[in-house]
Amino acid sequence: MKQQVDGLQLYRWMALSRALDTVLCAENPHWFPAEGEEAAIVGTFCDVRPSDAVAPHYRDPFVVYLMRGAELWRLIAQVLGKRDGYTKGRSVPFSGPAELGIVPWVAGDLGTSLGVATGAALAFQQEGSDRVCVCSFGDGTSNRGDFHENLNLAAIWKLPIVYVCQNNGWAISQRADTYLNAPVAARGAGYGIPGVTVDGQDVEAVRDAVGQAIDRARGGEGPTLIEAVTGRVRGHWAGDKATYRVETEAGRYLAPTQDPLDVQASRLLKRGEATLEQLEEIREKVAEEVTAAIERAKAAPDVVAADLALEDVYA
Amino acid sequence: MSATTVSTQTRRMTLVDAMIDAMSQEMRRDERVFYIGQDAGAMGGAMQGTKGMIEEFGPRRILEAPISESAMVGAAIGAALFGRRPIVEVSFGEFLPAAMNQIINQAPNIHYHTGGSACAPVVIRTRVGHGPYGGHPEDYSGWFAHVPGLKVVMPSTPADAKGLMTAALRDANPVLFFEAMSLSHATRGEVPVGDHVEPIGPARLARQGKDVTVVALGSMVPPAMAVATALEKEGIELEVIDLRALRPWDPDMVLASVHRTHRLIIVHEAWVAGGFGAEVAATVAEHTPGDLAAPVIRVGARPIPIPSGPLRRFALPDRAEIASAVRRTLSGDTV
Repeated sequence: MKQQVDGLQLYRWMALSRALDTVLCAENPHWFPAEGEEAAIVGTFCDVRPSDAVAPHYRDPFVVYLMRGAELWRLIAQVLGKRDGYTKGRSVPFSGPAELGIVPWVAGDLGTSLGVATGAALAFQQEGSDRVCVCSFGDGTSNRGDFHENLNLAAIWKLPIVYVCQNNGWAISQRADTYLNAPVAARGAGYGIPGVTVDGQDVEAVRDAVGQAIDRARGGEGPTLIEAVTGRVRGHWAGDKATYRVETEAGRYLAPTQDPLDVQASRLLKRGEATLEQLEEIREKVAEEVTAAIERAKAAPDVVAADLALEDVYA
Repeated sequence: MSATTVSTQTRRMTLVDAMIDAMSQEMRRDERVFYIGQDAGAMGGAMQGTKGMIEEFGPRRILEAPISESAMVGAAIGAALFGRRPIVEVSFGEFLPAAMNQIINQAPNIHYHTGGSACAPVVIRTRVGHGPYGGHPEDYSGWFAHVPGLKVVMPSTPADAKGLMTAALRDANPVLFFEAMSLSHATRGEVPVGDHVEPIGPARLARQGKDVTVVALGSMVPPAMAVATALEKEGIELEVIDLRALRPWDPDMVLASVHRTHRLIIVHEAWVAGGFGAEVAATVAEHTPGDLAAPVIRVGARPIPIPSGPLRRFALPDRAEIASAVRRTLSGDTV
């Protein structure tokens, strides 16, 4: 079931993600840029309900946190290591406020977050509700044993979860043909669950595919594996010059040829749902929002030793 | 944390029966508690560790899992984050490494790294050490005492097994619960009927004595007690402390005891080097080195991969080794 989000709102979320990501990359050279992958991110998470759980991939998940109601300036403060960030300066990157149903990202390894996300779905099944969990991860992560263990376990137990592989064709410096011998979605058959491939540059296509999977999960029919085929525009981290990439090579797993914002803009114009001026205005407005938020975040106090809060190790 | 509760009524049971009693009682009391484990259903669990539970609680609350320890523990952590109270069983300690990322990189970090906004009240149950069936003898308990954010317990009596399991299931933090396999079906003990909670952290003074402090863990408590009884005839009094918990642990009881006896032996089934005994010894050395009249002695497994089969008995600490350590510390006065 689609939430009250129209095509223009999808464009706005993607524009906000782009504007925020650009600033975060400028401020923190270790940030993992999501440029070019916005449709896969926004389309995956735009139809979850506030009571559902989300476990977005670490590659700039902040637009997802914003969609859940997180405050922009506090997320930026988090990236700057400020105590006003949601993690109080303890974890720079990806943990959002737990009360927003965000599965925390506390481990630096890949794949274990799939286990925790699967557990959210298990909690919902145990409580007998129709809540679901939507989880995304990269194509590199799909080779962790945890991917196999969790998809199998979720399939056996018919857990209400949607697994979205945000396939950008790269695992740090390695091109996908060095670690994938077949499309990730094809693995669904091995677990007896649907495996769906979708154009990751088309936000509405991603939304439709994930929406069907959410309905399926909510209806007690178990998990779905979706592969959103996108591409990584920039390096692995903001400061990564990506000298390992050879521009002339061609193939499926290279940088996307289409900007997801342009894809959605063309559609909105064609359907008469927006004018060029409106789209321009949206981009200007989100840029202003980000600028104001970063000023506020920068003005926030820096952490001091007392912020270690040793007593907070145990609940 | 609730204080120790005293029930007037008791029943004699084995350690594993006491564990089942604690878990079942808590599952009746709190509908959020459920169980994830391999063979936890019709078979009654590895070493009959969940005997009778599938009959009472059914397959929705006693979930049988595929052989996927990392996903099992991860799913338990996630379920805990979203309001449930899972017990996840990793059948044997030898399999803990398969779930190590979840146990080390996820569970203990969640509360702190989310700025205190989330917690993961999950109980990870496992079995370690020499056991009646000979398999999976590795005792990896000491590894986990290193990690802030985890609680680690290892009872040696049926009553403590019940009390600590109940406490673990009511704790807001991840608790790793080690069951010493040699004790699972060993001597029965009196176990309080009904609600019984032992706080996680305080040690148990198993026996008072004035000559030597013996800090023992899990499976090594009964042999330490047997040595104490044997040496009593020679006029040697051992004070035996059953540590019960490795994190948080109870340095106060150990320091106070060493202050009286001036001699310290630490015995656990796990390897000596880098083991928990080193932490106990270092704590005494840091806080009250002047209390020691003789060097500290650590007793543990030989520094080899633990053999399977009859060879194993030569690799693990026993009464003779504990008794020998006592005689050495009494004769080796250096102060």
